[in-house]
Amino acid sequence: MNIYVYIMRRLLYVIPVLLGVCLLIFVLFNLVSPDPTIMLLGKHANAKQMAELRHELGLDRSYFTQYLDIVKSAFTFDFGRSWSTKQEIIEMIKNGSGPSLTVTFPAFIISTILSLVISLFVAFYRGKWLDKSTVLVCVAMMSVPSLAYILFGQKILAYDFGLFEISGYDHGFPNFIPYVALPCLIWVALSIGPDVRFYRTVILDEVYMDYVRTARSKGLSEKVILFKHVLKNAMIPIITWVVIQIPFLILGALLLESFFGIPGLGGITLNAINSADFPVVRAMTILSAVAYIIFSVITDVLYTLVDPRVRLR
Amino acid sequence: MKLMQFVTVVLLSSMLSMAACTKKTASNEKVLNLVVTAKVKGMDPIFSDDRYSNNEVARVYEGLLEYHYTKRPYTLVPNLAEAMPEVSKDGLTYTFKIKQGVMFHDDKAFQGGKGRELVAEDFVYSIKRLADPKLQSTGWWLLDGKIKGLNEWRDANQKKETVDYTQTVEGLQALDKYTLKFVLKKNFPQFLYALAMPFTFAVAKEAVDFYAKEFLNHPVGTGPFVLPKFEQSNKIVYTKNPTFRNKLYPSEGSEDLKAKGFLTDAGKKLPLIDKIEVTILEEDQPRWLNFLKGNLDYIAIPKDNFSSALTPSKSLSQDLLDKGIQLLIEPSLDITYIAFNHENPLFQNIKLRRAMALAYDVNKSNELFYNGTGLAAQSIVPPGIAGYKSDFVSPWRGPDLEKAKQLLAEAGYPNGKSLPEITYDCPSSTVSRQMGEHFKSQMEQIGVRVKVVQNPWPDLQKKIKTKTVMTHGIAWGADYPDAENFLQLLYGPNKSPGSNGANFDNAEFNKLFEQAAIMQDTPERTALYEKLNLMASDLAPMIYGVHRQAYVLTQGWLKNFIPTDFEAGQAQYLNIDMDKKNELAKKF
Repeated sequence: MNIYVYIMRRLLYVIPVLLGVCLLIFVLFNLVSPDPTIMLLGKHANAKQMAELRHELGLDRSYFTQYLDIVKSAFTFDFGRSWSTKQEIIEMIKNGSGPSLTVTFPAFIISTILSLVISLFVAFYRGKWLDKSTVLVCVAMMSVPSLAYILFGQKILAYDFGLFEISGYDHGFPNFIPYVALPCLIWVALSIGPDVRFYRTVILDEVYMDYVRTARSKGLSEKVILFKHVLKNAMIPIITWVVIQIPFLILGALLLESFFGIPGLGGITLNAINSADFPVVRAMTILSAVAYIIFSVITDVLYTLVDPRVRLR
Repeated sequence: MKLMQFVTVVLLSSMLSMAACTKKTASNEKVLNLVVTAKVKGMDPIFSDDRYSNNEVARVYEGLLEYHYTKRPYTLVPNLAEAMPEVSKDGLTYTFKIKQGVMFHDDKAFQGGKGRELVAEDFVYSIKRLADPKLQSTGWWLLDGKIKGLNEWRDANQKKETVDYTQTVEGLQALDKYTLKFVLKKNFPQFLYALAMPFTFAVAKEAVDFYAKEFLNHPVGTGPFVLPKFEQSNKIVYTKNPTFRNKLYPSEGSEDLKAKGFLTDAGKKLPLIDKIEVTILEEDQPRWLNFLKGNLDYIAIPKDNFSSALTPSKSLSQDLLDKGIQLLIEPSLDITYIAFNHENPLFQNIKLRRAMALAYDVNKSNELFYNGTGLAAQSIVPPGIAGYKSDFVSPWRGPDLEKAKQLLAEAGYPNGKSLPEITYDCPSSTVSRQMGEHFKSQMEQIGVRVKVVQNPWPDLQKKIKTKTVMTHGIAWGADYPDAENFLQLLYGPNKSPGSNGANFDNAEFNKLFEQAAIMQDTPERTALYEKLNLMASDLAPMIYGVHRQAYVLTQGWLKNFIPTDFEAGQAQYLNIDMDKKNELAKKF
């Protein structure tokens, strides 16, 4: 099948998926969640004002009309205004996604490259003390809670040694760099453990295949075998692992943003959940669903590029 | 191997060089560095319902009245009003003269970009905005049912396509350019406090119309600081308002504040600083570290840093003293409590309530959760306002396990036998859970079984408002310094979904409350407040916790910082001693 036709067809799947997501959002927010007017009106809420606010927010309209509103916002990306802050949601997302990405994107690229290199390296020395000790370090790194990295990094590296800013954020390149350096480093430290273990396993799965033995018997060097043959064949699971993480980069890193005072989307989503700000939570859910679908299509297309045996249907 | 080394070196060096880009600017500008612990919603006064938005709004906007900065107990004084209002004999009509020559900030919303003079009509408009049914202000409760004709105006506009601001409200009128008249429906002595709250601060109609839905991001007030555009970010930067009127630092104050040197800037033109940088940091550690680095001018000591900041005798540690840091302690107008749901027949049994109150060791919870800094509450009214009696000790204040067991038996549940398991609902934070577990362990001592139920905050609110909790732990902070604001938590008609989450409804209490609520501030009213406060102790409608105290650290260079429950407008009085700052900076 032509790749463009395939992409178009897969993108059309967005429609039923979004309709389903909208239904789920509607059920969760309108039928299961608490009355948002309680939260919005605060400690002095009374029954009359709650009823008035429900009317102003359109919560007393028919369920079908409310569902249609969600569908409309999902397809137009017009999410309206936050109930809690009264800010325009699309502006909140635009303002928040930049700072989130300045932390998550470089950290993601660095940790992916670093993990792949380490994985290839330990695969090269598979079974040796270097391999075993790397796995041990990875497991140890994974066992430490993320909060411990943050507290340690902020206290020791930023406060005691003064290597980084303790917290804060400045918009625009390169102003943000001093503020995102430490969060990036912590993200990398947090990601390396699981990433290396995963990539190492994938690569080792390939290392014991027949074609590797054939290559070795033909006299190819280990470097050529690893980089030219093994890595290429291991790319399918690697691509799946890498690309599917990308949509979540936009959503930010909640703890890191919170501790380092980075005005990203992680904090916006959490605040919205805590204040029953449904339009914001709804917008974030819809955007995540759309991003997930788009990146799963990209993953499929990338499969065909790295492995010609994969066919798009 | 080489490749590995190369990649590692490149990555680490790039990170460190990124970090090295840190830039510091030195300037002689007096910049006040503040921190807030939650996101600020926006800059529209009618939605400033949390203390964070409240404080930010009050840097830019102003109201008719404010609290005297250097007087305690809290005293209202004119701000945009020329003087305190003339009040009619029946206490229903308040006539204000407003200051002449007060200018709104220069802004493109005005013709030619120059701010115009504030007039009485601006208050009429601003208060109508608070009542606007289409806007649904979160501050409407403040004036709901209070001003003659205002509820009718709200109701009449409820179903209209657009709200008619030209329609006259009988009790809210500008008599001339500088005279404003309020007529109340019934006596409401707390009305003046309402005029010191940001909900009622003056906005300009031109700015509201010009920025329309974006008005909340374009604050245009008359206040001491200017913020051209508000962005929901991690930092808000205000600059001094160049057209601010000739407002001076007070020359008089309470004796104790005078003695502490809070009048050294008396008579100086406000504001005393050039710029405010407000940083939003939700977590304790970065706030604390930034303060220790000298990046913040003051901070409330985070719960987990008490032991490093203070000695066991609650004085400042040597480390901090060496840096010139000062400690200020001020009781807060608040109370923590565990509320019984009085609509549950179980808690209509006063002996059971008293038994549970006696089983609760408030001193232990004070140590565990407030580092021993709170004051054990004897009843609902906190110290610092009329109605509180400093020598009163509640007979139902625990711990007294023997008496608690005896009362439990008299209540019909000897050793908790045949008493159903009681649920305790609390928010989902770790500390709330710990508080719940503490309550559970305390009740176990007399045989009362408690189950702790954690809820996300919206769910907890729903349960309270729909009266489906048995007991719940919560706190109340004063909206204004009047015992009425605390006693109303037990007033029957305020039952859920109102603010009386305990659903307590006692006819005698209600009757006395209604009497007190419409009385002016007189010794008779104080006596009535005291009586109500004693009833609030004797009837044990809640298990009282503590009145918290603010433990605030200030940098040695910060002047005039007085801890207060009503921070709105505080920044204009603060000053920075630049010589001292430069000198102390070497120690950080």
